[in-house]
Amino acid sequence: MIRYVAGRIPSAVVVLFLASLLIFSVMRLVPGDPALALAGPDATPEAITAIRHSLGLDKSIPAQYISWIGDVLTLDLGRSFVLGGQISDLVLAGLGNTAVLAGSALLVAVVLSLILSVAVVVWPKKWLTSVVNVLNTLSVALPNFVTGVLLVLVFAVVIPVLPSGGVPPGGYLAHPDITLQYLVLPSLCLALPVAAALTRFLSEALRTEMAQQYVITAQAAGVSRWNLVTRSALRNALPTMLTVLGIQTGHLLGGAVLVEAIFAWPGIGQLIEQGIGRRDYPVVQVLLLLSVTIFVLIQLVTDIVHAYLDPRIRIGGQS
Amino acid sequence: MNSSLSTAGLDRRAFFRGSAIAALAIFGSGSLAACSSAVGEQRSGAGESANPVRGGTLTLAIPDDISPSALLTSTTAAGVTLSGLVYETLTRYPLDSVVPQPVLAKDWKLSDDGLTLTLNLRDDVKFHSGRPFTAADAEFSLRTYADPKFSAQLRSTAAAITGFDSSDPHTLVITLAHRTGNIFDLLDLAPIFDSQTFDKAITGESFIGTGPFVFVSRTPNSAISFERNPNYWIVERPYLDRVEARIVPDSQARLTSLKSGQVALVSPASLTFRDSQTLAKTGGFETTSIDGAELQIYLGANVTADGLTDIRTRKALAYAIDRDRIMTEVYRDTGYAVNLPWPKSSPAYDAAKNSTYTRDVAKARGLVSEVGALPTISLTYTGASPDFEAAAQIVQANLAEAGITVELDPVEATVFFKQLIGAEFKGLWLTNHTFAQYVPSTLTVSAYPFNAAHNASKFSSPAYSAAAEAAWQVPDGSSDAAKKLYADLGTQLLDELFLIEIGVVVPQVSAASTVRDLAWTKGRQPQFANTFLA
Repeated sequence: MIRYVAGRIPSAVVVLFLASLLIFSVMRLVPGDPALALAGPDATPEAITAIRHSLGLDKSIPAQYISWIGDVLTLDLGRSFVLGGQISDLVLAGLGNTAVLAGSALLVAVVLSLILSVAVVVWPKKWLTSVVNVLNTLSVALPNFVTGVLLVLVFAVVIPVLPSGGVPPGGYLAHPDITLQYLVLPSLCLALPVAAALTRFLSEALRTEMAQQYVITAQAAGVSRWNLVTRSALRNALPTMLTVLGIQTGHLLGGAVLVEAIFAWPGIGQLIEQGIGRRDYPVVQVLLLLSVTIFVLIQLVTDIVHAYLDPRIRIGGQS
Repeated sequence: MNSSLSTAGLDRRAFFRGSAIAALAIFGSGSLAACSSAVGEQRSGAGESANPVRGGTLTLAIPDDISPSALLTSTTAAGVTLSGLVYETLTRYPLDSVVPQPVLAKDWKLSDDGLTLTLNLRDDVKFHSGRPFTAADAEFSLRTYADPKFSAQLRSTAAAITGFDSSDPHTLVITLAHRTGNIFDLLDLAPIFDSQTFDKAITGESFIGTGPFVFVSRTPNSAISFERNPNYWIVERPYLDRVEARIVPDSQARLTSLKSGQVALVSPASLTFRDSQTLAKTGGFETTSIDGAELQIYLGANVTADGLTDIRTRKALAYAIDRDRIMTEVYRDTGYAVNLPWPKSSPAYDAAKNSTYTRDVAKARGLVSEVGALPTISLTYTGASPDFEAAAQIVQANLAEAGITVELDPVEATVFFKQLIGAEFKGLWLTNHTFAQYVPSTLTVSAYPFNAAHNASKFSSPAYSAAAEAAWQVPDGSSDAAKKLYADLGTQLLDELFLIEIGVVVPQVSAASTVRDLAWTKGRQPQFANTFLA
């Protein structure tokens, strides 16, 4: 297992290095300039030169890259050009908010998909399957910004029972009941497409399992369908579901950018949007590199868990 | 076959009941079990009183965050909110005129030659740090405003100050390099900083001013909190205990925040004009216009671009544009069409001159045929703005009727800025400008599109430069002598047409009906000393 893990790490490091080069280059190739964004329309050439110098943008591009990557490796992320403050503080605050939102959305998605998948397989009634299929199709077909606006309109404007957006004013831990209310709409909005994808996959996997010989034998022996699904089929379907969950987590983080905008959730998505819009290079570079790192880590963790659950993979990895 | 199998151990009803409980456990348990409601929390504290009452927290949605390093440049909603709540200025214009009123300066005297201004300052004002405000702080603030690295809007006027005398802590004497008609624009706009903590303001650590509210905390990209200044120099003010500015970047999310009661106010001009108009007709909300704090939408022309060098083409543009349609369809009749930049409240407003170019497609076609074949002209605008997008499309259709083919070129805001400052537009551009609501000459010496010395149109003429300089150097910017010079300037602008004005847009502000006595400056900074929650 350790050899399997060690074998996967070099490729992850190479991916991260190439990503850092690409991110840095792309930010420099994008038209627009942070000095001009800061200077405003009435700036004199002297003012722009002074701002550019203070931001270190008058150095050569390779020198800027080496300086940046050196700082990142020593965990010195620097200061934001535009928002002010240490980037590490901005990123930690944004990351914390996104993690809470994505985590709760993931929990909702997993719970919903488990409930629906198990239900349609244990009780394969036509009407139940149709209802779940319709829910799945709607959840996938409706983009986040439509679901988000609908949820806000219904539960915050027409029937004002939940907040329309923002994070709890006193922090997440001050009043957990208030925190839950703030989380309901954005996490549900974010979770629905993921739950639909997971449900579709898991219910198919369970149905396939239920057609296996050992299941038919067990059924003949009088084992209940509920026990077969929850104790045998689910156990066998879960490893492959984990891979799907890994991919869906990526989609979920991508969707978070839009959901954060709709629900004024000050997470990483909002920070990236502000950073790109104002050409706040240091912030955007760090965030993009962080996003790539998270994706690489999720993939790595997914592979490792997969290998742990299925010995054939780690044996193949060793050979 | 499968359905007949036993499901002993758990029936369907029990399963769904269990599932429902699981779902509730995730989200609902807290809200069901607890007494507190997040919505109730947001709406609490509002009574029904019509008389000023003390206390309460005013929540406000703003579209962006503070950019501390651009504290003096910033015209963002967060920047003006911070400026209006925490900082004060020496003098201030009322919304309907350019006659300065006292704030930190009690009174003043301009010498007969117009070169020396003596300001008597209040002696009962303290910074939020507890330190008394003195003339040295006023000097520091005006010097800082003139520093090129802060790129402040009226820097040219601040740079015209060549001497300061702050030896008396309550008197500031400034000497001007030449007579300067818009000196009070500078005093209206330049925030008075605490000289001892200014370096912390530009890094975003603390913002110390003399205003009615004290900066308390900032969570970047999320919220900015302010508390009542208990030592404010106006007795018993402000009424509010706190102001919470929440950063809500999406326009639709700002609207729902207001409609759901999560915020009581949305910063001026940060909702679409259609949404503001709808809210005005909705019970529980009010939308008001801030007359005197106008923005102007205009079409700029690079006078060196192929097809635009000939004044007849530019005149054809001016005749072809359907200004009334743009003002009605895009800005929902919240403003009015103009040919010159100055709004009705300005001493330079001239109704007759504003009808020089009204829509006349035949005349426009005639001018185009005189010029001959025209190339396709590019029209650049900020693509993210639905208002500019709609206006650009109307302009394109109008010009097509006159025989001018326009290619739309939507770009990102940062790119638009780069092209504006670098005078890099390929042909036409569409955007808005401000500062026409101040002393009229400010526009032609400070606002970039009009700047006689250097502008995005690449236009220059000795006559225009002379007219701009002459208007700037009249000591009293609202005098009859000044008005004559503004008329000359107006004639120049109409004859040269390097900028084709479309309309004056009056910013709209939407709020819950419980918010009373809101006030704003000409620069759209909030003035909440008298604001209360009914």
